[in-house]
Amino acid sequence: MAVVAAAAGWLLRLRAAGAEGHWRRFRGVGLARGFLHPSATVEDAAQRRQVAHFTFQPDPEPREYGQTQKMNLFQSVTSALDNSLAKDPTAVIFGEDVAFGGVFRCTVGLRDKYGKDRVFNTPLCEQGIVGFGIGIAVTGATAIAEIQFADYIFPAFDQIVNEAAKYRYRSGDLFNCGSLTIRSPWGCVGHGALYHSQSPEAFFAHCPGIKVVIPRSPFQAKGLLLSCIEDKNPCIFFEPKILYRAAAEQVPIEPYNIPLSQAEVIQEGSDVTLVAWGTQVHVIREVASMAKEKLGVSCEVIDLRTIIPWDVDTVCKSVIKTGRLLISHEAPLTGGFASEISSTVQMFNYAICCVELPLYGKPCSIL
Amino acid sequence: MAVAIAAARVWRPNRGLSQAALLLLWRPGARGLARSHPHRQQQQFSSLDDKPQFPGASAEFIDKLEFIQPNVISGIPIYRVMDRQGQIINPSEDPHLPKEKVLKLYKSMTLLNTMDRILYESQRQGRISFYMTNYGEEGTHVGSAAALDNTDLVFGQYREAGVLMYRDYPLELFMAQCYGNISDLGKGRQMPVHYGCKERHFVTISSPLATQIPQAVGAAYAAKRANANRVVICYFGEGAASEGDAHAGFNFAATLECPIIFFCRNNGYAISTPTSEQYRGDGIAARGPGYGIMSIRVDGNDVFAVYNATKEARRRAVAENQPFLIEAMTYRIGHHSTSDDSSAYRSVDEVNYWDKQDHPISRLRHYLLSQGWWDEEQEKAWRKQSRKKVMEAFEQAERKPKPNPNLLFSDVYQEMPAQLRKQQESLARHLQTYGEHYPLEHFDKRGLQCFPDFSTAEAPPLARMIYP
Repeated sequence: MAVVAAAAGWLLRLRAAGAEGHWRRFRGVGLARGFLHPSATVEDAAQRRQVAHFTFQPDPEPREYGQTQKMNLFQSVTSALDNSLAKDPTAVIFGEDVAFGGVFRCTVGLRDKYGKDRVFNTPLCEQGIVGFGIGIAVTGATAIAEIQFADYIFPAFDQIVNEAAKYRYRSGDLFNCGSLTIRSPWGCVGHGALYHSQSPEAFFAHCPGIKVVIPRSPFQAKGLLLSCIEDKNPCIFFEPKILYRAAAEQVPIEPYNIPLSQAEVIQEGSDVTLVAWGTQVHVIREVASMAKEKLGVSCEVIDLRTIIPWDVDTVCKSVIKTGRLLISHEAPLTGGFASEISSTVQMFNYAICCVELPLYGKPCSIL
Repeated sequence: MAVAIAAARVWRPNRGLSQAALLLLWRPGARGLARSHPHRQQQQFSSLDDKPQFPGASAEFIDKLEFIQPNVISGIPIYRVMDRQGQIINPSEDPHLPKEKVLKLYKSMTLLNTMDRILYESQRQGRISFYMTNYGEEGTHVGSAAALDNTDLVFGQYREAGVLMYRDYPLELFMAQCYGNISDLGKGRQMPVHYGCKERHFVTISSPLATQIPQAVGAAYAAKRANANRVVICYFGEGAASEGDAHAGFNFAATLECPIIFFCRNNGYAISTPTSEQYRGDGIAARGPGYGIMSIRVDGNDVFAVYNATKEARRRAVAENQPFLIEAMTYRIGHHSTSDDSSAYRSVDEVNYWDKQDHPISRLRHYLLSQGWWDEEQEKAWRKQSRKKVMEAFEQAERKPKPNPNLLFSDVYQEMPAQLRKQQESLARHLQTYGEHYPLEHFDKRGLQCFPDFSTAEAPPLARMIYP
């Protein structure tokens, strides 16, 4: 019996070895074809997965913050967290799987450097993570919570909207949880489907009391994250997960701040204002250059950066100049944040038209 | 260990190395350590053992199929010190509190009771919008508060006013919050009984239930890191304990080793829902061991039992950095709130039993009387005095104006963002034009008029067009 078993095992291993080469050719898209036509040459069938196309456009190397280093987005996040924990002895980082470095490597090395009481795993419970973070912040210590994917932030919605956002107001400023920051991977990655791709910023935009920030690049991410951590209000920092590796540029090693609630005009133009945030900024930049090349249209590109409280003045000022506005985002259209921007700008532009300021007599259109 | 070696002889007769291997692999006390030590450690992986190797549990194998029967007929026993007549049952459990402290316990409970009666009535008369009484649960508040340090942080639900009363929160401020007047530290923003006091380390109450539980755990973790020698106490009812946040809080406290006391007031009802519809297990105390939490059930109407349990829990929570769960059994004598009429779902007889036969105030009074620390005359004098104090604070609160409408917009963020400032200015202009339709005479109006009069025909500024 043992001999039979051994022989069977030997045969299986042999078959596996032989099959390996045969099967290797059928990976990915070519697999189905391999089943149907096993003898066909399959170099042409070995296609890569089709993923959404965009090209990350790095910003020029920043000169005013000292020495820089090439970092991708997750490394720039690690750098910001490292700076924070070094500067602020009360700061702690917690969430699911942050101890070993995190599923996106954002917290690599921090537990070894700062200790297991400062960088630690929590049980798998988003409402607990945020509630726990609020409690730390109430005592005045700095709490940096991680929600593993923005798609899973909803169990914590009550704690964020009913508790964190309202802590200061409802207590008459006796108590607050301003030193809470929630970080979460956000947005499309190509293969994420329903539950690893969401952009939930619009749900939180409707909630006064919190700030929601979305960077477009490693340099922006570090400066904005540091500002969120130091901000005296609870902040949600969404990190475009597709940029974790795909975006790399020179980022200062030392800490620096990029102000919140300030949009950035990254390209000046005269014919139309394009507004986006996160990954979509790079798509829009490409659109701007295509428009210039093919249509002769001069686009002003704005990265909103902070979703709430958002920089109404910069966007409105731009639309006064160009007379046209296009907003592009990943999230669903209905009730998406573009609707807030467009309605506010239309209210503003209606006002401009009503007062008939001759300088700004252009017709206004919003897309 | 000798048993293991004997077992090895029976099971593996041909493996000469077995005994030596077992001696090497069996770390004495490793499994014993996992059982007795409060933290469950990962067992070392040893592949030659026939013992379970699963990282998820420290347990032995069993070859008999048997479901564990939850024990609800004879549940966790209820610790008490006094009987229903206020007599000490076991003298060794008497905390022997000094007279002043016991009198403070008594006066806090009775003053709270008096304030409850007057404020409940004031809601009935339309003077305040809403109120919640604490009838029957006063013992849980003061017994626990007395066992804490004054700097221990308190997270409550909404029926813990006695904790603030014990910490000498002035009647004026209780009333100010209920009236939402200009003296309210909360700036008149919340419904009545949503008290908060930074000075007395009582975090402001919020309406959503159980949200305070994981927050209290976070605060305890921060206190541990700060070596503050502080405990955090978190109060909640048996109904709130059904919320997901309660589960989250318990689990986090245990895994992250936080110095926190979870204090559950099991008063029999969550509005109209009796405990038989709230849970099927043995109350809240039985859940503690499931999380690895030290747990106890006490008679919540026995101030000394509550005191003893809280005192010991506090000492150990701080010393050992672990959570404690106290389930204080009590009864909600009053309605859930002024919006509730509990005769719709329970009998008057049931309520009367608790009011007459098992009330924390009566039981402590009997104790005081038997000690010779109180008598009928003092009782009469104190009733008169406490009523007078409450009425004075009440009349003062009535007369004060409401907070400035500008305070609708501040503290949303630490700094006021541009959009909110525009909304604030818009309201100011609205009140200028339509103020006669609002009861502005009851409000503090200082600084409200911030724009010039627009009755002159001039082009309005841009901002006014956006926010008319």
